[in-house]
Amino acid sequence: MGSPRQARGPRPRKAPHVLSFIAKRTLLALSQMLVISAVAFFLLYLSSSGIARTILGEQATEEQVAAKTAELGLDRPLPVRYVEWLLGVFQGDLGRSYFTPQDVSDALISRLPTTLSLLIATTIIAALIAFALGIAAAVYRGWLDRLVQILSIAGYAIPGFLFALLLVIVFAINLGWLPATGYVQLTADPLGWLKTVILPIAALSIGMIAATAQQVRGAVIDVLRQDYVRTLRSRGLSEREIIFKHVLRNASGTGLTVLGLQFVGLLGGAIVVEQIFALPGLGTVAIQYTSRGDIPVVMGLLIITSLIVAVVNLLVDLGVGFLNPKARVA
Amino acid sequence: MEPVKKTSRLVAALAAGALALGLAACSPGSNNAGSTTGSSTTAPLLTLGQIIEPTSFDPAVSQEGNSMPYYQAVYDTLIKRAPDGRLEPMLATEWTYNDDRTALTLTLRDDVTFSDGAAFDADGAKANIEHFIETKGPQANQAASITSVEATDATTLVITLSEPDPSLEYSLASSLGFMASPDAIGSEDIASTPVGSGPYTLDSASTIVGSEYTFVRNADYWGDALPYDSIKFVLLTDETARVNALRSGQINAAVFTAPSTAQELESSGFTVEGQLGDFSGFVFFDRTGQLNPAFADPRVREALTISIDKEALLENVGQGRGELTNQIFPSDDFSYDKALDTDDRFAYDPDRAKQLLADAGYASGLTVTMPISPVFDPSIYTTIEQNFSDIGVTMERVEFGPGQTIPALLGGQFAITYFTLATFNDWTTVRQYLAPDAPWNSLKTEDADLAELIKAYQYATTDDERTTAGQAMNEYVVDNNWFGVFSRVLSTYGHDDTVSVELQTQQAVPSIYNYSPAN
Repeated sequence: MGSPRQARGPRPRKAPHVLSFIAKRTLLALSQMLVISAVAFFLLYLSSSGIARTILGEQATEEQVAAKTAELGLDRPLPVRYVEWLLGVFQGDLGRSYFTPQDVSDALISRLPTTLSLLIATTIIAALIAFALGIAAAVYRGWLDRLVQILSIAGYAIPGFLFALLLVIVFAINLGWLPATGYVQLTADPLGWLKTVILPIAALSIGMIAATAQQVRGAVIDVLRQDYVRTLRSRGLSEREIIFKHVLRNASGTGLTVLGLQFVGLLGGAIVVEQIFALPGLGTVAIQYTSRGDIPVVMGLLIITSLIVAVVNLLVDLGVGFLNPKARVA
Repeated sequence: MEPVKKTSRLVAALAAGALALGLAACSPGSNNAGSTTGSSTTAPLLTLGQIIEPTSFDPAVSQEGNSMPYYQAVYDTLIKRAPDGRLEPMLATEWTYNDDRTALTLTLRDDVTFSDGAAFDADGAKANIEHFIETKGPQANQAASITSVEATDATTLVITLSEPDPSLEYSLASSLGFMASPDAIGSEDIASTPVGSGPYTLDSASTIVGSEYTFVRNADYWGDALPYDSIKFVLLTDETARVNALRSGQINAAVFTAPSTAQELESSGFTVEGQLGDFSGFVFFDRTGQLNPAFADPRVREALTISIDKEALLENVGQGRGELTNQIFPSDDFSYDKALDTDDRFAYDPDRAKQLLADAGYASGLTVTMPISPVFDPSIYTTIEQNFSDIGVTMERVEFGPGQTIPALLGGQFAITYFTLATFNDWTTVRQYLAPDAPWNSLKTEDADLAELIKAYQYATTDDERTTAGQAMNEYVVDNNWFGVFSRVLSTYGHDDTVSVELQTQQAVPSIYNYSPAN
């Protein structure tokens, strides 16, 4: 089907293609965010009556509620409020929380490093383990392959939150090796940070490892069956060189795509894990602010998570294009 | 199918292993971060798990209940509430009413300074109360009767009322009584940087907004120093996270909401304190038949109440943590009447409920629209629906998302709701649940007879008069089925063995003055 030369692909005119690709993807992401934000804005406000009452509490009079409603501009037409909000977003102003004396951007940016450091560390660790397991299973097959498949199924079957609770009981409560809850900033104390994120990362990564290892295993097996691999072997290349220089490059596009999808999925998983481990990240914000109807913060959260998803998708596409020229789009 | 079986076995093995380790749980004090010093009276740190974060440190918009300890750490109140509810001096050394109880004169301390160096005096107290009134925060009703505040000299403050407010002293021991530095009032900074005269100051460097709030001892505190050098509040909104944090020694104490948690903590060797607090049951908003004509008949309201197997609900859903009751007033209120709780009239009796409905002209049943809050155990609503069905009442559900239920209820959209509501002192109960403008009287029921009884309580001048008037008011509310009360909930406050805690009556969590290192 292919050859090593073909797999490497042509080199000329790479930069213009990449820039054009990034520009198109950026425009697509922006238009997606615009649609998502409009739908979310209208749905949230249309389904949230009594915001002023919730803010002021049960004892507020009708006059106080009416005054608060006017103060927040909630008595004005929804389309006007959306346009104003959107103009603010383009100027970097996500508005102000209804319930806390914080700008939305401050509230979210202060929590972003927690979630991002957690997700990035999880992805890196999960990728290393998943690729190692997937390649080993594909190359050695036999009992190791069966073991990897069983572990993958187990990884799918055990919900992340249950695994998180098991980890807490064993490593925090009984053994006392790691903290059950809390978070230390990476920049303040790297070792302290490591201690606080080991269990959350373990809880989050199990599903990611399971999914990615299976895909990598399948992709490596497929590549190993290719004619050019047999040709490489016949030329006397070592198995290590074939695996790491040729097979891995051709198989890793699949793994990278799965990792990208899993990373986006982790944003949802982080909500549960951050709650269990009391990590001050975006997941905790999502629970706290959504449950009390703090719409400006929820909208800000939506923008930031949409942005993260767009950036991750772009990076995955670029990565896949780099690894597999056939996947490059003009 | 084979992989599924293997997976199931693997999950079972993992769960069994974890359970085995979990059963071999460590003793509560063995891994405790909140260690005490050699002395039995002081300790370096008290760490408390909190279920809510402070939305603002401006005392004018302060929240009560679970939020009180945040404010108590930095702000003193004019009057202090002892754990059993008795009122004690704090920033005010004494206070007296005039004869018709429309003016309260407070004598203030002259030796108090705020953490920014400003002195506390009557002008500062006046500025705080006026700021509270102007801000119209969540507790604005506490100042509803205040017409003026005067500082007649540096240590004398006179609060004048439009009518007697039997809960004014209580309010001055709550949000209305928090005193901030007059230089900080009205500034934007006070929302995140509190400036008070309290026993602690906020350590901003060790505080992560929305996660951890650390308060360090105020070296210049005018009063008796509290035993802990610092207090750390850790925001743990998830019940499981609070349990894990307590079991792993990361926090010393926390409040818990799930009935099953008490047993879990006790079996792990922790101390669980509890007090009867919130009441649960029906609120009959529509006592005049505005939304559902059937509700105008008290017999219908009574039928709905006695159709519920309250005892089974308390045992099965509430794990037995509570007591059956028929009244909204708690036992430490003047209005509480023990006889009302032993009245068989409100016992579970579906046959009599059907008869009451028939007598009211609804022998063929009726339809009731029930708002469903995501806050409560869904099995509560299932039980209610089943019990209603047994007497021929059809329950139509209206589901709400997080944060949507209370605005809808207080907006007057429903004739009835099931809810768990906080208990207060007598007068706050009236203002919260019974008065024509009370938020939980959302359809503004006005009853001339009840108004007279309320007025009698309002103008009572002695405890005996308050008891007589309050019980008459309570009896009227019970007799006329304004509520269908099921039970009073036993709270769950868990702590480790390094801490002694005294619960605070009519407050969700103990005040910060109520903790001390255990011997």
